[in-house]
Amino acid sequence: MTQPESETLQDLAAAYALGALSAEEASRFEAYLAGSAEAQREVAEYREVAALLALGGPDAAPSPDLRERVLARMRPPAARPSAAPRRSQAPWGALAAGLVAAVGLGFGYVQLREVRDLRARLGSAMQQLAQTSDRLRAREATIDALFAPGVRMYQLTASGDPDPLIQFFWDQERNRAIVHGYKLGDLPAGRAYQLWFIKDGTPVPSVTFKPEPDGHVKVEQIPVPSDGKISAAAVTVEPESGSAQPTTPIRLVGNLERS
Amino acid sequence: MRSTVPGPTPAGDTELITRAAGGDERAMAQLYDRYGQVLYAVAYRIVGQRADAEEVVLDALAQAWREATKFEAGRGSVAAWLTTIARSRALDLVRARSRRDRITATAATEWPDASPAMGGWRSDPSSGVEYAERRTQVQLALESLSPPQRRAIELAFFEGLSQSEIAELLQEPLGTIKTRVRLGMQKLRECLRPFYFERGR
Repeated sequence: MTQPESETLQDLAAAYALGALSAEEASRFEAYLAGSAEAQREVAEYREVAALLALGGPDAAPSPDLRERVLARMRPPAARPSAAPRRSQAPWGALAAGLVAAVGLGFGYVQLREVRDLRARLGSAMQQLAQTSDRLRAREATIDALFAPGVRMYQLTASGDPDPLIQFFWDQERNRAIVHGYKLGDLPAGRAYQLWFIKDGTPVPSVTFKPEPDGHVKVEQIPVPSDGKISAAAVTVEPESGSAQPTTPIRLVGNLERS
Repeated sequence: MRSTVPGPTPAGDTELITRAAGGDERAMAQLYDRYGQVLYAVAYRIVGQRADAEEVVLDALAQAWREATKFEAGRGSVAAWLTTIARSRALDLVRARSRRDRITATAATEWPDASPAMGGWRSDPSSGVEYAERRTQVQLALESLSPPQRRAIELAFFEGLSQSEIAELLQEPLGTIKTRVRLGMQKLRECLRPFYFERGR
């Protein structure tokens, strides 16, 4: 990986707009996207290209009554069952439709004794979908936070080691931060990474965190001190319970002053 | 580049979505007249059958109606937003049916099944470039790609496969697939820039 991070990520705009990135790549790219107006423009444009792709297939038109059915769905918003006002409920409509379709097919094609097996498979598929939509909701919440106005991204890096990287998203209106870490090395048992703010020249302790086995970590809702001048953020390795003062050399550091 | 429409200026897509966010069904009906056919085409291409594709369009527009306040013009056009929703709903539906069964089935036939209902769609004249013209341009643009580039892009968009999954499916290096997607999309962008759906205004 000798290519600079941003260049590699830039190449992913087209694949991202097509929905062709793995979950891990997509979340990395979204972190980068939050800080790059140019990448946002690229993605917007590739989405226009993607939206046209369906016109390359066979000509297709829905039944003339679909328009009326579309409108009928919107008409009684208050009368709709459970009113489903929260967007977190949204994916379930499609899911339910899918399951209904699948169950319908099941009864059409298979012997009754196979239905039980089909039900079990649907049950586990449904569970998987529920987990997926939970993960998606969590990611959407993160993206919303990253795109909030007034959020700036800073990078914390390790001197002499190109691998570990922390993207530090600082919401200066709410004095909150999100940390996205990549390729952070393994820790001995009982140890954790700890974040420090350099406030008026002195380290102030913040959260501790441990990366996933793949070196990735995400910490949200980190309070940032607002009662002094924050010039930098740094990361050291400390006991799991955290330290009041850094007890080991700095692993990663980044300047937080506006450039 | 975009052909101008005579007569009174029709409402822009963004205006329609804003009105929909305020509860105006007629705005949603207009969006359906403009993009229902495109959404159906996306859904049909993914789910491969008519009743399911219509169900997807219904779900997608119901979701757009509920979430209209979340549309952000800065991130792209209304058409692209609606298409993204329809694609996700269609892929959800396919995944809820057994996904593997379907990939084997469509691998045999290039298209899902016989082409459904030709014509029969009265396109909204205010949608700028005519549907048929845009369709021709998209087909020309796709034909200008190398077949492997086109395949990679279509597997990603219509089958919901990641680049790694495509590499695995085609037994080719991941880097090769990434390059095909990137170069193919760049080429499409160059060819299709004048034919994007109306930008939000």
